[in-house]
Amino acid sequence: MAQAGRVVKSVAGMVLVLAAGMCFAADHPDFTGVWTNAGAAGIGGATRAAPAALPLKPEAKARIEAYQKLMSKTGDSPGGWCLGTGMPGSMLGSGGYPMEIIQRPEQITVIYEAHSETRRIYFGNRNAPQADRVPGRNGYSSGRWEGDTLVVETDNLVDQIDQRNTSHSDQATIVERYSLDGKDEQGRRVLKAEMTMTDPVFYTAPVKMTKRWAEVPNGRVLPYECPEEMWRDRIEKLAKEAGVPVP
Amino acid sequence: MKSLRSIAIAAFSLCLIGTVAAHHSAVQFDFAKQVQYTGVVKEFAAINPHMRMTLELKDAKGTHEVKFEGHSTNNMYRAGYRKGMVQAGDTITVNAAPYRDGTEGGYVIAASKPDGTHFGVKGRAQTVQQTGEEVRKQAEGR
Repeated sequence: MAQAGRVVKSVAGMVLVLAAGMCFAADHPDFTGVWTNAGAAGIGGATRAAPAALPLKPEAKARIEAYQKLMSKTGDSPGGWCLGTGMPGSMLGSGGYPMEIIQRPEQITVIYEAHSETRRIYFGNRNAPQADRVPGRNGYSSGRWEGDTLVVETDNLVDQIDQRNTSHSDQATIVERYSLDGKDEQGRRVLKAEMTMTDPVFYTAPVKMTKRWAEVPNGRVLPYECPEEMWRDRIEKLAKEAGVPVP
Repeated sequence: MKSLRSIAIAAFSLCLIGTVAAHHSAVQFDFAKQVQYTGVVKEFAAINPHMRMTLELKDAKGTHEVKFEGHSTNNMYRAGYRKGMVQAGDTITVNAAPYRDGTEGGYVIAASKPDGTHFGVKGRAQTVQQTGEEVRKQAEGR
Protein backbone atom coordinates (compact mmCIF):
# COMPACT_ATOMS: atom_id res chain seq x y z
CA MET A 1 0.00 0.00 0.00
CA ALA A 2 2.82 2.31 0.97
CA GLN A 3 4.57 1.42 -2.27
CA ALA A 4 1.40 2.19 -4.29
CA GLY A 5 1.24 5.55 -2.52
CA ARG A 6 4.85 6.30 -3.49
CA VAL A 7 4.11 5.41 -7.12
CA VAL A 8 1.07 7.68 -7.15
CA LYS A 9 3.12 10.49 -5.60
CA SER A 10 5.98 10.07 -8.06
CA VAL A 11 3.58 9.97 -11.05
CA ALA A 12 1.83 13.06 -9.71
CA GLY A 13 5.22 14.72 -9.35
CA MET A 14 6.16 13.89 -12.92
CA VAL A 15 2.82 15.21 -14.17
CA LEU A 16 3.42 18.43 -12.24
CA VAL A 17 6.94 18.80 -13.69
CA LEU A 18 5.64 18.14 -17.21
CA ALA A 19 2.77 20.56 -16.72
CA ALA A 20 5.13 23.20 -15.39
CA GLY A 21 7.37 22.67 -18.41
CA MET A 22 4.43 22.95 -20.78
CA CYS A 23 3.24 26.08 -19.00
CA PHE A 24 6.72 27.58 -19.24
CA ALA A 25 6.94 26.73 -22.92
CA ALA A 26 3.49 28.14 -23.51
CA ASP A 27 4.33 31.31 -21.59
CA HIS A 28 6.44 32.82 -24.33
CA PRO A 29 6.40 32.71 -28.11
CA ASP A 30 9.14 30.62 -29.70
CA PHE A 31 11.33 32.65 -32.06
CA THR A 32 13.45 29.62 -33.01
CA GLY A 33 14.00 29.59 -36.75
CA VAL A 34 15.66 31.30 -39.68
CA TRP A 35 14.62 34.85 -40.48
CA THR A 36 15.18 37.22 -43.39
CA ASN A 37 14.02 40.71 -44.29
CA ALA A 38 10.26 41.02 -44.30
CA GLY A 39 8.71 42.27 -47.51
CA ALA A 40 10.53 40.23 -50.14
CA ALA A 41 10.13 36.71 -51.45
CA GLY A 42 12.69 34.14 -50.31
CA ILE A 43 15.85 35.61 -48.88
CA GLY A 44 15.44 39.36 -48.95
CA GLY A 45 17.90 41.98 -50.08
CA ALA A 46 20.07 43.91 -47.69
CA THR A 47 18.76 46.82 -45.73
CA ARG A 48 20.52 49.62 -43.99
CA ALA A 49 19.42 51.54 -40.99
CA ALA A 50 18.28 54.96 -42.09
CA PRO A 51 17.05 56.96 -39.14
CA ALA A 52 15.46 60.26 -40.18
CA ALA A 53 17.69 62.59 -38.19
CA LEU A 54 20.27 61.47 -35.69
CA PRO A 55 20.52 63.65 -32.58
CA LEU A 56 24.31 63.70 -32.78
CA LYS A 57 26.46 65.75 -30.46
CA PRO A 58 28.86 68.07 -32.35
CA GLU A 59 31.97 66.10 -31.34
CA ALA A 60 30.41 62.83 -32.55
CA LYS A 61 29.29 64.46 -35.81
CA ALA A 62 32.83 65.73 -36.40
CA ARG A 63 34.30 62.26 -35.85
CA ILE A 64 31.80 60.63 -38.21
CA GLU A 65 32.43 63.23 -40.91
CA ALA A 66 36.18 62.74 -40.60
CA TYR A 67 35.70 58.98 -40.92
CA GLN A 68 33.45 59.35 -43.96
CA LYS A 69 35.91 61.70 -45.63
CA LEU A 70 38.69 59.20 -45.08
CA MET A 71 36.65 56.28 -46.47
CA SER A 72 34.71 57.99 -49.27
CA LYS A 73 37.22 57.27 -52.04
CA THR A 74 37.61 53.58 -51.35
CA GLY A 75 34.23 52.79 -49.83
CA ASP A 76 36.02 50.50 -47.39
CA SER A 77 33.92 49.19 -44.55
CA PRO A 78 34.51 46.91 -41.56
CA GLY A 79 32.56 44.13 -43.30
CA GLY A 80 34.65 44.49 -46.45
CA TRP A 81 37.66 43.72 -44.28
CA CYS A 82 35.89 40.83 -42.55
CA LEU A 83 35.19 42.54 -39.28
CA GLY A 84 31.82 41.60 -37.81
CA THR A 85 29.17 44.29 -38.00
CA GLY A 86 28.55 44.71 -34.28
CA MET A 87 25.46 46.04 -32.58
CA PRO A 88 23.19 47.62 -33.53
CA GLY A 89 24.23 47.04 -37.16
CA SER A 90 24.24 43.24 -36.82
CA MET A 91 20.58 43.31 -35.83
CA LEU A 92 19.55 46.01 -38.30
CA GLY A 93 21.52 44.60 -41.24
CA SER A 94 20.65 40.93 -40.84
CA GLY A 95 18.17 39.73 -43.40
CA GLY A 96 20.33 40.65 -46.36
CA TYR A 97 22.02 37.57 -45.07
CA PRO A 98 19.57 35.67 -42.85
CA MET A 99 19.85 35.05 -39.14
CA GLU A 100 19.03 32.00 -37.07
CA ILE A 101 17.52 32.15 -33.60
CA ILE A 102 17.91 29.20 -31.24
CA GLN A 103 15.74 29.66 -28.18
CA ARG A 104 16.19 27.93 -24.84
CA PRO A 105 14.64 29.10 -21.57
CA GLU A 106 17.97 30.20 -20.12
CA GLN A 107 19.66 31.47 -23.31
CA ILE A 108 18.75 32.68 -26.75
CA THR A 109 21.46 32.43 -29.40
CA VAL A 110 21.31 34.56 -32.55
CA ILE A 111 23.58 33.60 -35.44
CA TYR A 112 23.87 36.19 -38.18
CA GLU A 113 24.98 34.51 -41.39
CA ALA A 114 27.32 37.32 -42.44
CA HIS A 115 30.66 36.76 -40.72
CA SER A 116 28.96 33.98 -38.70
CA GLU A 117 28.50 36.68 -36.09
CA THR A 118 26.93 35.30 -32.92
CA ARG A 119 25.06 36.96 -30.06
CA ARG A 120 24.17 35.18 -26.85
CA ILE A 121 21.33 36.56 -24.78
CA TYR A 122 21.40 35.29 -21.20
CA PHE A 123 18.47 34.98 -18.82
CA GLY A 124 18.40 35.07 -15.03
CA ASN A 125 21.18 33.13 -13.34
CA ARG A 126 22.89 32.44 -16.68
CA ASN A 127 24.03 36.07 -16.68
CA ALA A 128 27.68 36.89 -15.97
CA PRO A 129 28.49 39.40 -13.23
CA GLN A 130 29.02 42.88 -14.68
CA ALA A 131 32.76 42.77 -13.93
CA ASP A 132 33.15 39.54 -15.93
CA ARG A 133 31.47 40.82 -19.09
CA VAL A 134 33.94 41.19 -21.94
CA PRO A 135 33.45 44.31 -24.11
CA GLY A 136 33.01 43.71 -27.82
CA ARG A 137 31.36 44.91 -31.00
CA ASN A 138 28.13 43.07 -30.11
CA GLY A 139 28.43 43.86 -26.40
CA TYR A 140 26.90 41.72 -23.69
CA SER A 141 23.19 40.93 -23.88
CA SER A 142 20.78 40.06 -21.11
CA GLY A 143 17.18 39.04 -21.76
CA ARG A 144 13.86 38.95 -19.97
CA TRP A 145 10.25 38.44 -20.97
CA GLU A 146 7.52 41.01 -20.56
CA GLY A 147 4.49 38.95 -21.52
CA ASP A 148 5.00 37.91 -25.15
CA THR A 149 7.71 40.50 -25.70
CA LEU A 150 11.37 39.60 -25.42
CA VAL A 151 13.34 42.49 -23.96
CA VAL A 152 17.10 42.44 -24.56
CA GLU A 153 19.44 44.88 -22.88
CA THR A 154 22.94 45.22 -24.30
CA ASP A 155 25.92 46.87 -22.64
CA ASN A 156 29.71 46.51 -22.81
CA LEU A 157 29.82 47.78 -26.39
CA VAL A 158 33.00 49.26 -27.81
CA ASP A 159 33.51 52.61 -29.54
CA GLN A 160 32.50 52.12 -33.17
CA ILE A 161 32.25 54.45 -36.14
CA ASP A 162 31.17 53.16 -39.52
CA GLN A 163 28.96 53.89 -42.53
CA ARG A 164 25.78 52.52 -41.00
CA ASN A 165 24.44 55.59 -39.23
CA THR A 166 24.60 53.64 -36.00
CA SER A 167 27.96 54.79 -34.67
CA HIS A 168 28.32 54.96 -30.92
CA SER A 169 30.78 55.21 -28.04
CA ASP A 170 31.65 52.56 -25.49
CA GLN A 171 29.07 54.17 -23.21
CA ALA A 172 26.17 53.13 -25.46
CA THR A 173 23.45 50.81 -24.25
CA ILE A 174 20.76 49.26 -26.41
CA VAL A 175 17.31 47.97 -25.52
CA GLU A 176 15.56 45.76 -28.07
CA ARG A 177 11.94 44.65 -27.78
CA TYR A 178 11.12 41.61 -29.94
CA SER A 179 7.55 40.52 -30.62
CA LEU A 180 5.67 38.55 -33.25
CA ASP A 181 3.78 40.89 -35.55
CA GLY A 182 1.28 38.78 -37.48
CA LYS A 183 2.04 37.29 -40.88
CA ASP A 184 3.14 38.73 -44.19
CA GLU A 185 1.32 38.33 -47.52
CA GLN A 186 3.05 34.98 -48.02
CA GLY A 187 1.78 33.69 -44.69
CA ARG A 188 5.18 33.83 -43.02
CA ARG A 189 5.50 34.81 -39.35
CA VAL A 190 6.86 38.31 -38.91
CA LEU A 191 9.21 39.20 -36.10
CA LYS A 192 9.50 42.85 -35.13
CA ALA A 193 12.31 44.47 -33.14
CA GLU A 194 11.98 47.95 -31.74
CA MET A 195 15.36 49.25 -30.72
CA THR A 196 16.41 52.17 -28.55
CA MET A 197 20.06 53.12 -28.35
CA THR A 198 21.15 55.51 -25.62
CA ASP A 199 24.61 57.03 -25.66
CA PRO A 200 25.38 60.17 -23.63
CA VAL A 201 28.71 60.59 -25.45
CA PHE A 202 27.34 60.51 -29.02
CA TYR A 203 23.68 61.51 -28.86
CA THR A 204 21.54 64.16 -27.18
CA ALA A 205 18.49 61.85 -27.16
CA PRO A 206 17.78 58.13 -27.52
CA VAL A 207 17.94 56.78 -31.09
CA LYS A 208 14.96 54.62 -32.06
CA MET A 209 14.83 52.16 -34.95
CA THR A 210 12.54 49.31 -36.01
CA LYS A 211 13.37 46.17 -37.96
CA ARG A 212 11.08 43.44 -39.32
CA TRP A 213 11.96 39.92 -40.39
CA ALA A 214 9.92 37.15 -42.04
CA GLU A 215 10.48 33.50 -41.14
CA VAL A 216 12.09 31.32 -43.82
CA PRO A 217 10.28 27.96 -43.75
CA ASN A 218 12.84 25.19 -43.29
CA GLY A 219 15.51 27.84 -43.81
CA ARG A 220 19.22 27.28 -43.42
CA VAL A 221 21.94 29.70 -42.49
CA LEU A 222 25.00 29.09 -44.65
CA PRO A 223 28.62 29.06 -43.46
CA TYR A 224 30.51 32.31 -44.00
CA GLU A 225 34.29 32.31 -43.68
CA CYS A 226 35.07 35.86 -44.61
CA PRO A 227 38.86 36.32 -44.80
CA GLU A 228 39.45 33.79 -47.60
CA GLU A 229 40.23 36.60 -50.03
CA MET A 230 42.83 38.19 -47.76
CA TRP A 231 44.44 34.82 -46.97
CA ARG A 232 44.66 34.07 -50.68
CA ASP A 233 46.36 37.44 -51.23
CA ARG A 234 48.79 36.66 -48.42
CA ILE A 235 49.77 33.29 -49.92
CA GLU A 236 50.26 34.87 -53.35
CA LYS A 237 52.44 37.60 -51.85
CA LEU A 238 54.62 35.13 -49.94
CA ALA A 239 55.00 32.95 -53.03
CA LYS A 240 55.97 35.94 -55.15
CA GLU A 241 58.54 37.10 -52.58
CA ALA A 242 59.96 33.58 -52.42
CA GLY A 243 60.02 33.32 -56.22
CA VAL A 244 57.96 30.13 -56.22
CA PRO A 245 54.60 29.20 -57.73
CA VAL A 246 51.55 29.48 -55.49
CA PRO A 247 51.36 26.09 -53.77
CA MET B 1 23.56 42.49 -76.54
CA LYS B 2 24.75 44.97 -79.17
CA SER B 3 24.03 47.84 -76.81
CA LEU B 4 25.98 46.07 -74.09
CA ARG B 5 28.85 45.61 -76.49
CA SER B 6 28.76 49.27 -77.47
CA ILE B 7 28.78 50.27 -73.81
CA ALA B 8 31.74 47.99 -73.32
CA ILE B 9 33.57 49.48 -76.28
CA ALA B 10 32.81 53.01 -75.04
CA ALA B 11 34.13 52.04 -71.66
CA PHE B 12 37.28 50.66 -73.21
CA SER B 13 37.82 53.80 -75.26
CA LEU B 14 37.72 55.84 -72.07
CA CYS B 15 39.88 53.33 -70.39
CA LEU B 16 42.40 54.58 -67.89
CA ILE B 17 44.45 51.47 -67.60
CA GLY B 18 45.56 50.83 -64.07
CA THR B 19 45.46 48.26 -61.37
CA VAL B 20 42.67 48.24 -58.87
CA ALA B 21 44.21 47.70 -55.50
CA ALA B 22 41.12 47.66 -53.35
CA HIS B 23 38.86 44.65 -53.64
CA HIS B 24 36.84 45.40 -50.57
CA SER B 25 34.16 47.79 -51.62
CA ALA B 26 31.35 48.05 -54.15
CA VAL B 27 31.78 51.81 -54.56
CA GLN B 28 34.26 51.35 -57.40
CA PHE B 29 31.62 49.75 -59.66
CA ASP B 30 28.86 51.49 -61.61
CA PHE B 31 25.83 49.32 -60.96
CA ALA B 32 23.63 51.43 -63.26
CA LYS B 33 25.50 49.95 -66.24
CA GLN B 34 26.40 46.52 -67.53
CA VAL B 35 29.16 45.35 -69.79
CA GLN B 36 29.44 41.90 -71.33
CA TYR B 37 32.53 39.82 -71.93
CA THR B 38 33.00 36.35 -73.37
CA GLY B 39 36.26 34.61 -72.66
CA VAL B 40 38.00 31.56 -71.31
CA VAL B 41 38.26 31.08 -67.57
CA LYS B 42 41.87 31.20 -66.40
CA GLU B 43 41.13 31.30 -62.72
CA PHE B 44 37.99 31.10 -60.63
CA ALA B 45 37.46 31.08 -56.88
CA ALA B 46 34.18 31.19 -54.96
CA ILE B 47 35.56 32.82 -51.83
CA ASN B 48 34.49 35.36 -49.24
CA PRO B 49 33.89 38.17 -49.09
CA HIS B 50 34.09 38.34 -52.90
CA MET B 51 34.24 35.80 -55.69
CA ARG B 52 37.18 36.19 -58.09
CA MET B 53 37.46 35.26 -61.73
CA THR B 54 40.08 35.90 -64.39
CA LEU B 55 39.08 35.58 -68.04
CA GLU B 56 41.31 35.40 -71.07
CA LEU B 57 39.82 37.63 -73.75
CA LYS B 58 40.61 37.81 -77.44
CA ASP B 59 39.57 41.10 -79.01
CA ALA B 60 40.96 44.14 -80.82
CA LYS B 61 43.56 44.45 -78.10
CA GLY B 62 44.80 40.95 -78.72
CA THR B 63 44.83 38.21 -76.13
CA HIS B 64 44.80 39.55 -72.59
CA GLU B 65 43.50 38.72 -69.12
CA VAL B 66 40.76 40.60 -67.32
CA LYS B 67 39.87 40.25 -63.66
CA PHE B 68 36.40 40.23 -62.12
CA GLU B 69 34.97 40.02 -58.66
CA GLY B 70 31.50 39.25 -57.44
CA HIS B 71 29.28 38.15 -54.62
CA SER B 72 30.18 36.26 -51.49
CA THR B 73 29.99 32.49 -51.77
CA ASN B 74 26.69 32.64 -49.88
CA ASN B 75 25.04 35.06 -52.29
CA MET B 76 26.54 33.16 -55.24
CA TYR B 77 24.76 30.00 -54.07
CA ARG B 78 21.53 31.95 -53.64
CA ALA B 79 21.96 33.20 -57.21
CA GLY B 80 22.21 29.66 -58.58
CA TYR B 81 25.94 28.91 -58.45
CA ARG B 82 26.94 25.39 -57.39
CA LYS B 83 30.30 23.80 -56.64
CA GLY B 84 32.26 22.95 -59.78
CA MET B 85 30.03 24.99 -62.09
CA VAL B 86 32.91 27.14 -63.33
CA GLN B 87 36.24 25.51 -64.18
CA ALA B 88 39.47 26.78 -65.67
CA GLY B 89 39.24 26.33 -69.43
CA ASP B 90 35.49 26.92 -69.61
CA THR B 91 34.18 29.44 -72.10
CA ILE B 92 31.90 31.80 -70.24
CA THR B 93 29.91 34.97 -70.91
CA VAL B 94 29.81 37.44 -68.06
CA ASN B 95 27.59 40.45 -67.52
CA ALA B 96 29.23 42.81 -65.09
CA ALA B 97 28.87 46.23 -63.54
CA PRO B 98 31.91 48.07 -64.93
CA TYR B 99 34.62 49.79 -62.93
CA ARG B 100 33.91 53.50 -62.65
CA ASP B 101 37.49 54.34 -63.64
CA GLY B 102 37.24 52.43 -66.92
CA THR B 103 39.42 49.50 -65.91
CA GLU B 104 38.39 46.39 -67.82
CA GLY B 105 36.42 43.84 -65.82
CA GLY B 106 33.84 44.54 -63.15
CA TYR B 107 31.46 43.10 -60.59
CA VAL B 108 29.74 39.99 -61.90
CA ILE B 109 25.96 40.35 -62.23
CA ALA B 110 25.39 37.08 -64.09
CA ALA B 111 27.34 34.45 -65.98
CA SER B 112 26.43 31.72 -68.45
CA LYS B 113 28.16 28.94 -70.35
CA PRO B 114 27.31 27.64 -73.86
CA ASP B 115 25.70 24.53 -72.32
CA GLY B 116 23.09 26.74 -70.64
CA THR B 117 24.65 26.69 -67.20
CA HIS B 118 23.81 30.00 -65.59
CA PHE B 119 24.03 31.86 -62.33
CA GLY B 120 23.25 35.39 -61.38
CA VAL B 121 20.50 37.80 -60.59
CA LYS B 122 17.18 36.96 -62.11
CA GLY B 123 13.51 37.37 -61.36
CA ARG B 124 12.27 40.58 -59.83
CA ALA B 125 14.50 43.02 -61.69
CA GLN B 126 13.19 44.41 -64.98
CA THR B 127 15.93 46.74 -66.18
CA VAL B 128 19.70 46.98 -66.12
CA GLN B 129 19.40 49.70 -63.49
CA GLN B 130 17.04 47.65 -61.28
CA THR B 131 19.25 44.60 -61.61
CA GLY B 132 22.31 46.63 -60.77
CA GLU B 133 20.62 48.17 -57.76
CA GLU B 134 19.63 44.73 -56.51
CA VAL B 135 23.20 43.47 -56.84
CA ARG B 136 24.67 46.64 -55.34
CA LYS B 137 22.49 46.24 -52.26
CA GLN B 138 23.66 42.67 -51.85
CA ALA B 139 27.28 43.66 -52.48
CA GLU B 140 27.10 46.35 -49.83
CA GLY B 141 24.83 44.28 -47.65
CA ARG B 142 27.08 43.99 -44.65
